[in-house]
Amino acid sequence: MSNCEAIRELLVFHSEGVLAPENIRQVEEHLVSCAACREESEQIGRIRGWLKDPGLFEPEHDMAWDLLPEKLAGRVASLPSRRWNLTSLGLSRWARAVAAVAVLAGGLIWMMRLHAPRPPAGQVAQAGSGNAAFLDRVRTVYTREATVQYLDGCHALLLDLARAERKCDRNHFDVSLEIARARQLLQQKRMIDAAPNVPNLEQARSLCDDLERFLVNLSTSRECETGDALQLMERSIERGQLLLRIHVVSSDIS
Amino acid sequence: MRQVQQGDMHAYQEIVQRYQKKVYRVISTYIHNREDALEVLQDTFLKVYTARSTWESRFSFAGWLYRIAINASIDRFRRTDRGRTASLEDVMESQIHQSATVGASADPLGKLRGQERRRLLENAVRRLPQRQREVVSLRFFAEMKLEEVAAALDCPLGTVKSNLHKAVIGLKEMMLKQKGVLDYEQL
Repeated sequence: MSNCEAIRELLVFHSEGVLAPENIRQVEEHLVSCAACREESEQIGRIRGWLKDPGLFEPEHDMAWDLLPEKLAGRVASLPSRRWNLTSLGLSRWARAVAAVAVLAGGLIWMMRLHAPRPPAGQVAQAGSGNAAFLDRVRTVYTREATVQYLDGCHALLLDLARAERKCDRNHFDVSLEIARARQLLQQKRMIDAAPNVPNLEQARSLCDDLERFLVNLSTSRECETGDALQLMERSIERGQLLLRIHVVSSDIS
Repeated sequence: MRQVQQGDMHAYQEIVQRYQKKVYRVISTYIHNREDALEVLQDTFLKVYTARSTWESRFSFAGWLYRIAINASIDRFRRTDRGRTASLEDVMESQIHQSATVGASADPLGKLRGQERRRLLENAVRRLPQRQREVVSLRFFAEMKLEEVAAALDCPLGTVKSNLHKAVIGLKEMMLKQKGVLDYEQL
């Protein structure tokens, strides 16, 4: 490597000010005597100067920068909470009905056990396992029902999203209703997640998770979305074959 | 950021206020379309909030934030902007915007030259290989030190320096090729 080549390897770092003192001296001594390297150094310095230009990739002046923090804080506040509790769930009618059935069934079993004549000791374990099996069946029915309801809701939402026609203005579509429905479906999904695993529902679980990812994205969208953004969502639905998979999985469960 | 982790919305708004323009500049090195860049900017700050529990105080917040911004930009670029150059509409809009602002300038020719140079340099930055572009955008637009860039990109300082060297030389070469356009300005 010639002296000029070696010096040119250092010029960017020289202009960055990150060279060791001995290298700085070496570069500066060389630049005094070499016009070509001096020109190279000046060009590099000019590029660095231009890169530091605050006008480069400058945001448009007409953007409402002062409003963005507040707007984002509003969107963040409307995100569905990760932790679920009974007051924030806003349980829908079906969930309340299923929960009521489960509570009634539990109460009935408890009453029957309380008033039933005591069986011989050998039969106690058998009866206990019978009750557990019954509760398992209740849970299974609940989880299946909840999954089907969730998939139906998602199916209807995806179709409505593709048909979004309400316009905010010439270039934007109003998807506020779809966002609200997505948030409701996310709450249903949390109920399903909290339910115990049910055999033969693995495929449905995977699909529910895929739909959940889509719903999370939709729920954090703007109420007035561009046509491009809607097209992206549609492409995502197509890519994941979500509608087809919902149809297949729902038929399997039914 | 610790306050944000505890759900303090005022602290969150301060973070957005402080970083929004710098983050926008970094995103713009990937996303040409202004609307898309703004969407990625908002997605970045939403992600900062939703993933706030994953940030650890032993790491630089700025590095973590720009990593999110770069990942979101690359993701959006792959989905929408791959291979797309500025549309005629974008160019015309930019020219209309430029001529509108040039008219009001005290030195219209100088301002026009500055804008032309910026446009060429912006295009040149967008043509850099990804790693070099990351280093340049974090060093110059996010105004980070080289050590901070290395931490944000989770790579050795030597790699950052090497990429910075290649990037600056690459930009110089690309700008030299435009010397015909830049004949009024010595490079």
